Amino acid sequence: MIREKVKIGIPGLDEMLDGGLIPGRPYLISGTPGTGKTMVAMRFLLEGAMRGEDVLFVSLDEPPNELKADFKSLGWDISKIRVFDATPDVLSYDKTPVRDVSTERRVSYFGEIRDAIRRTSEKGPTDMSVNTVQELLKQEMKIRKYTRIVVDSITSLKHFFIKTSEEYATVQSFFRLMSDLGITSILTVDLPEVAKEEAEAHQARGEIRLHKWFDGKGLQRGVTIEKYRGSSHEQRMRLLKITDEGVVVKTSEQPKPKEEGKATKGCVAPTVVADAKKEAKEEEAKPEPAKDKPDTHPKPVLSEAHNEPAPAKKKEEHVAKAPAPETPKPEPSAQNGGHSI
Amino acid sequence: MSPDVLRLATGIPGLDDMLKGGLIPGRPYVVSGTAGSGKTTLAIQFLQQGVRRGERALFVSIDEPPSEVRENVRSLGWDVGKIRILDVHPSAKAYSKKVSMVEVAAQRAVGSLMDARPDAKAEAMKLVSPDLSAQSLQLMLRQELMETRYSRVVIDSMTSLKRLSETQGDIDNTLLSLLRFLSESNVTSLIVTDVPDPTKLEIESFICRGEIRLHRLMLSNRIERCITVEKFRGSAHDTLPRPLEISAAGLIVDSRKKLSKMALRMLQAVPSGAR
Repeated sequence: MIREKVKIGIPGLDEMLDGGLIPGRPYLISGTPGTGKTMVAMRFLLEGAMRGEDVLFVSLDEPPNELKADFKSLGWDISKIRVFDATPDVLSYDKTPVRDVSTERRVSYFGEIRDAIRRTSEKGPTDMSVNTVQELLKQEMKIRKYTRIVVDSITSLKHFFIKTSEEYATVQSFFRLMSDLGITSILTVDLPEVAKEEAEAHQARGEIRLHKWFDGKGLQRGVTIEKYRGSSHEQRMRLLKITDEGVVVKTSEQPKPKEEGKATKGCVAPTVVADAKKEAKEEEAKPEPAKDKPDTHPKPVLSEAHNEPAPAKKKEEHVAKAPAPETPKPEPSAQNGGHSI
Repeated sequence: MSPDVLRLATGIPGLDDMLKGGLIPGRPYVVSGTAGSGKTTLAIQFLQQGVRRGERALFVSIDEPPSEVRENVRSLGWDVGKIRILDVHPSAKAYSKKVSMVEVAAQRAVGSLMDARPDAKAEAMKLVSPDLSAQSLQLMLRQELMETRYSRVVIDSMTSLKRLSETQGDIDNTLLSLLRFLSESNVTSLIVTDVPDPTKLEIESFICRGEIRLHRLMLSNRIERCITVEKFRGSAHDTLPRPLEISAAGLIVDSRKKLSKMALRMLQAVPSGAR
């Protein structure tokens, strides 16, 4: 471990990351729409804000007023998180002069965001591009020493701000900027239901993937660490829940073997079934270690988010992969569900 | 904790239960499903609910000529006279005399669903009208919204709109702009789409604030329908699939019932995108 890791603030997930993210590097949170990416990303910023750090949310997807309302109804106080509204304006299709965005929009606290949606100026839309977002980040870093940044989402950045032919190079330069700035950053990625490798997956130093699927009990959610450079990490999927208070990932407790086997057969991440063969292998391998020790789980897993740590589990890491060293013994009972404010 | 935000009822009580009260006003939502799964019916019910409460509701008809929409809805026994309809159903294409974009709005009539009938004059107008695209639709809606304050708008369907806009380039930005325009106008919009190609990320499914999906499951001896809430920003929602019926009174959702074992297994077996 290089420096002290940056905590996301979801105990189960930090545990999967062997303590958190390595500071100063860009990471991805990926998943199909509705898996909870924005929520995990916001939790990461909130963790920083609660520690008194300067944190920034760059919103390309949702107007900040909606984010503010949504997180307020969750009971999260995100007012001390700064936000930059990079959502594109309504296009005018007239020949109005394009206006420079830096004069029109600035970073503010979520607490200062008005309840109504920002209206496109009568003078016409402002010009948003990757360059403007990058320039803005550079300027902001001169003013404040941000420690955490979220860009939600890199998918919108690609769809709305980048020409397809320049996509790879632009995404690359964006990641370069992120690491140059030395900020721990999370970029969210919307995946189609059958995913293929995208430019950003190569660039990021790590990828947290969120999954959802149906089983006999209804919608299930899970989280995997797809990649994590320079750190050991959990190899298997853990269940994730979005509750009234936010995101909960189990600590040191695996899904019941039976459940996981079934889920794999059914459709854990349809991704696997279709083309991603490499992933398919990993997925197949998953339930096996769990089957060896079917008795380690006295409780029905799906009903309980706060299980006791089961230290025996740690020996079951994949040998083929980077051998994961002992996960530091978590104190989950104290921290569990500790995302509430 | 704040009191719950204001909700907009969809007009389908069981679905409102699944959505914990309804949709959040002023945001765009997607209704997806295969052909014949009940998307348009759901959309009309959503508009009908608005009209019942004295709101203005607009149906943008791209897939079907309005006269057919009217007939279909009539056969359900509803009085849809108050729902307004923007007829942008593309008719035979004219290859000469293209009119500039700005004039489009003047060409396409907004009428109440009541008097939707094949109109010789309107048909003639269409022959000279330009292609429909997300761009021209936004301009038409801008004009329409200046005159009438709509609170609910349905676009049926986005799948067609995208196909029609393909020649225009930069569809992503124009679609985003269209939805943003509706949001800025305080309109709650329901975007009807086909089931997305699971290998592709359809733009509407990641820029919308929620997605309601209708499923039609072929079981060995019957067809079973069900409905799921795939995504709903800013709100808790029912995560279970619920049985759906299409009756004479429209869509009926029982939010307390569970799906039959067989149907549930079917739903699991199909990758979610192809359901």
